[in-house]
Amino acid sequence: MRTFLSLTRRNIKLFFSDKGMFFTSLITPLILLVLYATFLGNVYRDSLISSMPEGITIPDRIADSVVAGQLISSILAVSCVTVAFCSNMLMVQDKATGVRRDLDVTPVSPAILSLSYYFASFISTLVICFTATAACLAYASALDSYIGLNDVLMLLVDVVLLSLFGTALSSIINYFLSTQGQISAVGSIISSCYGFICGAYMPISQFSPALQKIISFLPGTYGTSLVRNHAMSSTLDEMETAGVPVELIDEVKKTFDLNVSFNGDVVSLKGMYLILALTVALLIGVYVLINVMGNRKEKR
Amino acid sequence: MKNVIEIQNLTKTYGSLTAVDNLSFRVKEGELFAFLGVNGAGKSTTINIMCSALQKDSGSVIINGNNIDTDSDKVKNDIGVVFQGSVLDKSLTVLDNLQSRGALYSLHGKELRQRIDEVARLLDFSDLLKRTVGKLSGGQRRRIDVARALIHKPKILILDEPTTGLDPQTRSLLWKVISSLQKSENMTVFLTTHYMEEAADADYVVILDSGKISAEGTPYELKTKWARDTLTLYGVDSERVEGLGIPFERLGDGYKLYVSSPLEAKTIVVENGFDDFELAKGKMDDVFLAVTGRALNGGEAQ
Repeated sequence: MRTFLSLTRRNIKLFFSDKGMFFTSLITPLILLVLYATFLGNVYRDSLISSMPEGITIPDRIADSVVAGQLISSILAVSCVTVAFCSNMLMVQDKATGVRRDLDVTPVSPAILSLSYYFASFISTLVICFTATAACLAYASALDSYIGLNDVLMLLVDVVLLSLFGTALSSIINYFLSTQGQISAVGSIISSCYGFICGAYMPISQFSPALQKIISFLPGTYGTSLVRNHAMSSTLDEMETAGVPVELIDEVKKTFDLNVSFNGDVVSLKGMYLILALTVALLIGVYVLINVMGNRKEKR
Repeated sequence: MKNVIEIQNLTKTYGSLTAVDNLSFRVKEGELFAFLGVNGAGKSTTINIMCSALQKDSGSVIINGNNIDTDSDKVKNDIGVVFQGSVLDKSLTVLDNLQSRGALYSLHGKELRQRIDEVARLLDFSDLLKRTVGKLSGGQRRRIDVARALIHKPKILILDEPTTGLDPQTRSLLWKVISSLQKSENMTVFLTTHYMEEAADADYVVILDSGKISAEGTPYELKTKWARDTLTLYGVDSERVEGLGIPFERLGDGYKLYVSSPLEAKTIVVENGFDDFELAKGKMDDVFLAVTGRALNGGEAQ
């Protein structure tokens, strides 16, 4: 255990000693926040107001709060995964610089080594994503959004879970990479694609039924929905208090992916947590396994 | 002295290339063992197999009584490796590096800190512990590399071209420390080098070519068998030297003659009354050249 902790500490120190790597990882969610707020905030707001049936008007504060909830949930859902890809470079760097050879001549097992990379990368991702969450909450607070303390706490739980998921996913993919160029290319692909396939950039409800079906099999979808639920639930409660009909609120929930269906059934929040937790466990298991098997193969 | 490394019929192939070909040799405990060969001779492959970083095709490797097939963790605990290039984390401090590497051998807390202080004193870098490795000079970094290899008190220190590119002062310091460890802790040193003067100080030398042993023995045995002694005569004119009927070459103020043995040299000196002369054994460079047909100079095979 102490060996694992020491290796993890080494990996975290290496990540934070590279200021460039840290700020590059941190700046992505912050840029997203600025871009969203500057260019898309008003578009979302106008679209929400115009989608209301005749005779129903929603107060400005609620409209702003819905938009803020959508923006910050999109940013956090994407960032937890893309930041994980940015911060999970060390195992590739160690291969490229020859440090891995030095680690391999020691009695430490490949499983411990791989888990230390995973855990360190998770911590680094979490630090950055919590910083991004703080920035997002500051933005929501500036708009006087409805986000309760309970929502904030659950949002933090979601960020932890999504960071675990993003780190596990990036660990498996990065395992097969051996150069800095490859990892940058993969990072770029993930950054540009993941937001779409997890429903962060565009609500899943707007995709074709066939695509929705495919996306319902991707665990990231449920992560996005969890963040959406916790970023917007207080606002939706306020809509109900303001007299917006329940049917309309349900429609809003569906439109913004607060309700995600799998095989025709709406998946509950508990179900979403379960899917994500099981996926994380499975991905970590696969990651450790390929490291142990790969270590044997590399010796040949 | 017991054998601390026993390699028997070791073979390793990469596709159609046989990197190590039925190799067998032994290294005695506490000796300085030089493992020589041009690039691609199979040295690194053999070392990687010894460190359990590479699987062999056949043969057996026993390190300090432990078989690498069944007790690789014990073997790894007995071995410290100084790689050709530095493999430390350049953006971390020396202390961070040694702490993280020491932990890989289950060294923690006070015990680890004491060991770090010990190797820092030994290699004279106590003042560098808080410095970032990437900001150290080549020689300073090499000392840290050696310290990293010694952190867990290995029984065998593998030095893979440890002094290439180092200044004479650092080379001398490293060898002083290594020799002292060899004596004080009866540590076995397994050395690959391109500097033949380092190999000349070894207790036993193996020269590898195309994965096989081309020659082995003590430096004295190898020099006697593969290199000719030289007798240099001073204060004589060329006619007297030509009169000896022995091939010679002009060398500054003297004449260098190649002789088959010290006895032949003695006969020449005594019979001809030469009173200013110098007798030198053949060099390891000559041995290497004679054995492999190629010379090793400053790291390059020629």
